[in-house]
Amino acid sequence: MPQRAQKRVVRLSLAGVISSFVLVLLAFYFVVRGFDANERADALVAHSYDVKDTISDISRYMERAEAARRGYLLDRNPARVETLKDSVAHLAPNIERLKSKTVDNPEQQARIEALHPVIQAQLDDMRQTILLAQRGDMEGAVALFRKQAELQRLGTIRRIAGEFENTENRLLASRGAMEQSALERLQTYLGLVVIALLFTGAATYMVLSRHSRELLASRMTLAGLNEGLEAAVAERTADLRRANEEIQRFAYIVSHDLRSPLVNVMGFTAELARADREISEFVDEVDSAQPGLVPDAVRAAAKEDMPEAIGFIRSSTQKMDRLINAILVLSRQGRRALAPEMLDMDGLLSTVVDTLSTLRDESNATIKIRTPLPALKHDRLAVDQIFSNLLENALKYRRPNVPGRIEVRGHAKGGRAIFEVEDNGRGIEEKDRERIFELFRRSGVQDKRGEGIGLANVRALAYRLGGTIEVRSVFGEGSTFVVNLPLEYVDDGKIGE
Amino acid sequence: MTKHKPVQIVMIEDDEGHARLIEKNIRRAGISNELVHFTDGTAALDHLVNAPNGPALNGPALVLLDLNLPDMSGTDILARIKADERLHRVPVVVLTTTDDKREIARCYDLGCNVYITKPVNYESFADAIRQLGLFLSVIQLPDATEG
Repeated sequence: MPQRAQKRVVRLSLAGVISSFVLVLLAFYFVVRGFDANERADALVAHSYDVKDTISDISRYMERAEAARRGYLLDRNPARVETLKDSVAHLAPNIERLKSKTVDNPEQQARIEALHPVIQAQLDDMRQTILLAQRGDMEGAVALFRKQAELQRLGTIRRIAGEFENTENRLLASRGAMEQSALERLQTYLGLVVIALLFTGAATYMVLSRHSRELLASRMTLAGLNEGLEAAVAERTADLRRANEEIQRFAYIVSHDLRSPLVNVMGFTAELARADREISEFVDEVDSAQPGLVPDAVRAAAKEDMPEAIGFIRSSTQKMDRLINAILVLSRQGRRALAPEMLDMDGLLSTVVDTLSTLRDESNATIKIRTPLPALKHDRLAVDQIFSNLLENALKYRRPNVPGRIEVRGHAKGGRAIFEVEDNGRGIEEKDRERIFELFRRSGVQDKRGEGIGLANVRALAYRLGGTIEVRSVFGEGSTFVVNLPLEYVDDGKIGE
Repeated sequence: MTKHKPVQIVMIEDDEGHARLIEKNIRRAGISNELVHFTDGTAALDHLVNAPNGPALNGPALVLLDLNLPDMSGTDILARIKADERLHRVPVVVLTTTDDKREIARCYDLGCNVYITKPVNYESFADAIRQLGLFLSVIQLPDATEG
């Protein structure tokens, strides 16, 4: 999955989470607001009922006072006066209360203003009536009462109280409706928020699930590719191995078949030499017995031309034999079964150096091994041959008149061991740095014996052990051969014969 | 040596040159026994098993065997000789170019008596053959008819 798409998904899901969080906060806010509105509505309702109670209390006390007056006029029981006084005492605070409760409503205030003188007048009437009755003027009192009754003050009070109550009822209804609509609005908002929340959640889920589906799909594709790759690698490896085995078999057969005619060439050359010896002995005999009889050309043929020709045939066939042997050795090397074992490289290298001590002393060279070298698990003979060849080369190809200094180093790195064999010898020209690893190829002045096999063998061995070899060199100053081997030999299924 | 018939040398060698060199050197070593030469395995086996003067029917013999033959492997011939109860006491000298250790071991396993690698160097080759001739002149061969 491309980096950009990955970033986009992360950004989208983050946005989803953040907006969900904001929406939840919003929903919480609306819920709180809803509670508030509810509470306000409750308070208003309570207020309205309170006002209605107060006004009805006022009416009730008025009625009670009036009832008490009438009763007194009938039986002059002083308890009635007490009741009247008590009722009147309740009126003033209730009126004050009503005033304060409806202070925000001019209509009701006006009603209270209207109500107040009527109540006052009624109360005055009551007081006069009672006073007359207490003085014993019952007839005057009753007359006053009748006159007053015509004024219908109580009716007025009832009417105003009724109006008051009606107004409060209307107010209650309208306020209730208002709060109700506010509440409904809040609920709508809340609903919208919840829907938005659901939508955001669903969108986030979709983005993430699509992303994870894509991830899964790409992982499966990757797994498929991996398998394909492994199969391809295995196939290539098998191909390579087959090709390699074929080449080795070919080399083996060819070198054997070449050997047979070589035996004949050498054999009959020897027969020729033998015959030539006979002839030249005979020429000598004839010469001593009868000088001048043998022509010079015959003498030259028997004593010079034939030995010379035979000599060249011999040296060439000998060289050919060495080359064939080299191929045989290499092909046999490739067919040999490897036996990996734990190798103490410090010990192995010092043994190699010991076997080369004669050459080293002749060369006036020193070999330094920087211990500790990483231990390996490999075929002993193969590793031994690699380092023997490299050290022998280092001893052989020195700079004239410069004491050889050779150093072997090694370190382990990530499952592999890297060894370096450094010399201060004559170095290798750049054009030859690949060629020297090829069979029968040599570099520089051909002043040393050799067939051009050593490094080809070293490289074949390194490859076979799962490693590589390369060379760094400054021509005329020295060379460093770098051997890179796995710490442990992994048998790749190759069947040693 | 004995009153028995002289030992016949059966040489199975596909390379005429090698055969000639071997014969020359055997003769130079002073061995004058009859020497029959075959260049392929079929004819050689026919001689060994069926020829009236062959070793199976008549007299002692010694086999010089090359391993690289056109029609069959020398080791097959060796196995056939050692599996045949009339022939299995016939000494077999394997004389070949192969110096492969496994091949040598296999020949000895099959019952070969001597294994000689043909050296490319002629002097050593001639030397080896002459040694073989000396060896032939002193060994006692079992009487095949009693086998």
